[in-house]
Amino acid sequence: MLNSMILSYITFVYFFSFFFYLLMMVMHRENFGRAATFVTLAGFAGHTFAIVLRWVESYQLGIGRAPLSNLYESLIFFAWTIILLYLIVEWRTKNQSIGAFVTPIAFLAMAYASFSPGISSRIQPLVPALKSNWLIAHVITCFFGYAAFALAFGLSIMFLLKKLDRPQRKSRFLGIIPESWLLDDLSYQMVVIGFLFLTLGILTGSVWAHSAWGAYWQWDPKETWSLITWLVYAALLHSRLVRGWKGNKLAALSIIGFFCVLFTYLGVNYLPGLHSYAQS
Amino acid sequence: MVQKESEKNTQPFSLWKAFSSIKLTLFLLILLAVASIFGTLIPQQESAMRFAENLSPTLVRILESMQLFDMYHSWWFRFIIGALAVNLIVCSLDRFPSSLKRFRSTPGADREKPFEDLPEDRSFPVKTAFEPASNLVGDLLKKNYGKVERKEKGEATFYYVQKGRFTHFGVYLVHLSVLLILIGGIAGSLFGFQAFVNIPEGEESDRVFLRKEREAKPLPFAVRCEKFTVEFYPNGTPKEYRSDLVFLANGEAVFEGPLRVNHPITFQGITFYQSTYGTLPGNQVRLSLKREGDGQNSFVDAQVNKPFALPGEEGEAAVTAVRSDFMRMGPAVQLEIRPKSGEDVQLWVFKNHEMIEQRFPGIFERFPRLNPASFKPYTFFVETMDSKFYTGLQVSRDPGVPLVWAGFVSIIIGLFVTFFLSHRMIWVRLSRRKKGANIALAGMSSKNAVGLEREIGKLMTQLQKEVEKLPSSQ
Repeated sequence: MLNSMILSYITFVYFFSFFFYLLMMVMHRENFGRAATFVTLAGFAGHTFAIVLRWVESYQLGIGRAPLSNLYESLIFFAWTIILLYLIVEWRTKNQSIGAFVTPIAFLAMAYASFSPGISSRIQPLVPALKSNWLIAHVITCFFGYAAFALAFGLSIMFLLKKLDRPQRKSRFLGIIPESWLLDDLSYQMVVIGFLFLTLGILTGSVWAHSAWGAYWQWDPKETWSLITWLVYAALLHSRLVRGWKGNKLAALSIIGFFCVLFTYLGVNYLPGLHSYAQS
Repeated sequence: MVQKESEKNTQPFSLWKAFSSIKLTLFLLILLAVASIFGTLIPQQESAMRFAENLSPTLVRILESMQLFDMYHSWWFRFIIGALAVNLIVCSLDRFPSSLKRFRSTPGADREKPFEDLPEDRSFPVKTAFEPASNLVGDLLKKNYGKVERKEKGEATFYYVQKGRFTHFGVYLVHLSVLLILIGGIAGSLFGFQAFVNIPEGEESDRVFLRKEREAKPLPFAVRCEKFTVEFYPNGTPKEYRSDLVFLANGEAVFEGPLRVNHPITFQGITFYQSTYGTLPGNQVRLSLKREGDGQNSFVDAQVNKPFALPGEEGEAAVTAVRSDFMRMGPAVQLEIRPKSGEDVQLWVFKNHEMIEQRFPGIFERFPRLNPASFKPYTFFVETMDSKFYTGLQVSRDPGVPLVWAGFVSIIIGLFVTFFLSHRMIWVRLSRRKKGANIALAGMSSKNAVGLEREIGKLMTQLQKEVEKLPSSQ
């Protein structure tokens, strides 16, 4: 299909945007930064086009459904939300160094979707349980949450790297990373957005499970892991808002939280349960 | 710090104090997260049995004593959730008075403090007469914020507006929602039930089987499955499962409708979900009869328990039972033969007769009751057996669901209010100058200082624009 061909090219486009963001940081040239933003924007436009095309193509196949329902489509959408959120952050902060830490996550998601032999890019019709509008709400909210957590993760890594910066070191690379307090604040904001969307994602999934299986919570491994993730970020928010934790501890919690996100999303598929779509 | 610690130690231990600790919250949140991980690694409930078969008996006993095979319903897991709930309630009650105070606080409109260390770009001179400018400020603030407080103090006029006072309560709404969801869950497990029932096409059931208690539960009505349909896509993926159900009260059809996945039906407070399906042998069997000496086999379409005459007038026979898998050797029917003379004969006829003969040579000779040729001079064969579907329904009643749904809605509102809205207070001070006045703006916010700065900036541009329209004083 044309859509998956375009999407496999977009993978390389995101690799180039990562490459340019990195060059910008190492060489300290604005031109590379401009190129990076341009390439990312172009990739995002193509990415959006391909997702819409996939939707259209599903109608041409007589299946007709939103492209949000298997592992391939979810990875593609995950990368899309990361890039969208990143572009908004770049636009608001006017800082491009964040790109070097976020675009690789989108690139890896795209590469995994496009080139992993276990993942089929074919448009399959929906089994009865997946035919629900709650599914669309569930997937969209979950992945906006995951994307915000991915950004928080990238920002936390940057925060820890920035700690290595010393004035006498004169490292260009570290010098271009924003001030620690800004990273800390941005990362917190991303966690807040992620937490709201993760909550929405869990709730919509729960409403959907209730209409499909007759129970809104069954302690299925995916449900449980989403709760674990939720608890970790709840702990992070409480430690910051009530205990006033900042800096290293928070960055560490945010990194642990993102590993929980990854396990909820991908790791759980290797455990038995309702969501084990990756096994097919 | 050291002194503080020793102070704490001398205080008597207070349960309230222990549970109002945020450290306890963090500990419990992480403990609950870590405990939950175990349940995803150790197979739970039904799958636990298969898993336990591969373990040593001692290990199984240890795991069992910790209730690790049904961990999420164990006393200790519930204890952690309970402790977290108590912690949440105590913390909320402990902090609520201070939020109420902040909600009610009415900082004086003429406060000078916010204007200390005010950046220069937060004030601008006005060349018009003082009174019109002051009225204009008052009107604009009233338009933007509703309620405006005004106070004169010396040579200056102060205005004070605020918005988002209620945001101090957002966090309590979130906590209340969590409790609401927990209460809904408890209500569901106390007053609701989770059951299932399999109903063959054309049949009805007035009882369901409780999953947890493993016992039958009578319903105040009966459910009949008229028909079950499964549709497939061309590639073989299932497209739709549908049961046409009829609900009967006192034997009369009261309600009927199709039940599909994702489209449950609720009848008299009990909800039915399409869960699984399967096939059962029907009651139509096509038999082939070989009579020794006759050239051709004769065929009989038999219905269960409806006797038919044997073609050679030796007597009557009837199919008395149909099994989709008899003695693990595949589908079979039971025949009862009543000859005109002699004793009745009962025998089983397998559909896969030849295959069984190959796998177990001589089996039919040894067991006359399994031998399709034990009633002379006939040999019976099963040509076709019709099958029918049964539908598998999940049946549940959960009075806690409305509470859970209410909790879902309010937790989202609460999170939004807590994280994205803030209590903003803005003061505007007009100081008299020889010619006109000086207008200064200052503010305070419960959070999101950047947002406040932006709001003040916007308000200032708006004020500047409006003031310029006034005629300047000489």
